[in-house]
Amino acid sequence: MEIKSTDRDDFRCIYDANYHLIMQVIMHIVYNIEIAEDLTQEAFERFYVKNMTFPSEDDARYWLLRVAKNLALNHIRRNKREIEMVEKVRQMPSAAVESRDGAQAAVEAENRREVRAAIEALPENLRMVIQLKEYSGLDYKSIAKVLGISETNVKVRVHRARKKLEETLSTEDRDVY
Amino acid sequence: MCIDSQMLSAYLDGELKEPYKAQVEEHLEHCAACRRHLEEMMALDRRIREADFPDELLLRSKDRIFGLLDSKYFQNGRKVSFMRRRLEISLPSLITAAAAVVFIFIGGFMFFGASPEQTEDILPSFQLQADPGSVHFVSDSSSLDNFTLEEILQYLDSKGYNVDISIKGLQPLETETESTPESVS
Repeated sequence: MEIKSTDRDDFRCIYDANYHLIMQVIMHIVYNIEIAEDLTQEAFERFYVKNMTFPSEDDARYWLLRVAKNLALNHIRRNKREIEMVEKVRQMPSAAVESRDGAQAAVEAENRREVRAAIEALPENLRMVIQLKEYSGLDYKSIAKVLGISETNVKVRVHRARKKLEETLSTEDRDVY
Repeated sequence: MCIDSQMLSAYLDGELKEPYKAQVEEHLEHCAACRRHLEEMMALDRRIREADFPDELLLRSKDRIFGLLDSKYFQNGRKVSFMRRRLEISLPSLITAAAAVVFIFIGGFMFFGASPEQTEDILPSFQLQADPGSVHFVSDSSSLDNFTLEEILQYLDSKGYNVDISIKGLQPLETETESTPESVS
């Protein structure tokens, strides 16, 4: 189905289908909900203003993902200094888990902190691939299209990222406990 | 020979094509080491996924943002035209543009000259009053020397001015020339 970005029904359809995905991708780069929401809004505004016709919903999604990723990365680069200043706050466990007992929540929060730190320590080319794989649930083909690399390259990078994360996370466990 | 971990990673993602997929599955059947390796990978994956943000957080502003975009771009179901969006001009640039128009208009007269005829052509109601014949310099023609002090006082009195006259520095007449400094205040 062809998607016209300025058609209200098409826009609504793409918005509903991709909002969560776009938020997720941006959130895993900027780690700040307000900024992620602003950038997500901007991504969809660009989608409209671009006034483009996409051959399929998937193509619209790839385009949006590319824009979202670039917006988030640019934001990080521009605001590097401020971000370093709030590093500690950002690394603190988020208070998202409720309605479970405190110990369980604390363990999950700790895991979240460790995993995020490990992912953040990855080089950018591996980080984007593993985030799109693990959090956005995209297949290799989609990731390849979003990042403009080959599927084989995606496969290699996913594997490398996993290997590095395994090393980091298991080392951390040994060091901490 | 055991399975290459990159292949196992692709298998985990369901991205391995036949015949490799069948081969991997067959190998996993009887190789405990590779099964354990795969389980470790799965455990890591789970751990990574658990660090995802909860949906309530990610979706909390979904409707609000759509509302914003909807009212901005699709008011009354009608899309805002390209021209209308382009007309959003900031106030400073608008003022600059207006000043430029005025400047060019005035500049046109300054550089290309404007004779009274031309002025009348362009602005019929505007006549150039200041041609040399109609200009009178007060200091040239109507000097106070032509009037006596009495006439001046009468004139000022008729206009309603209250005039005080005092004479200062009165000196005895020594020479023939008469000098009586007066000041009208």
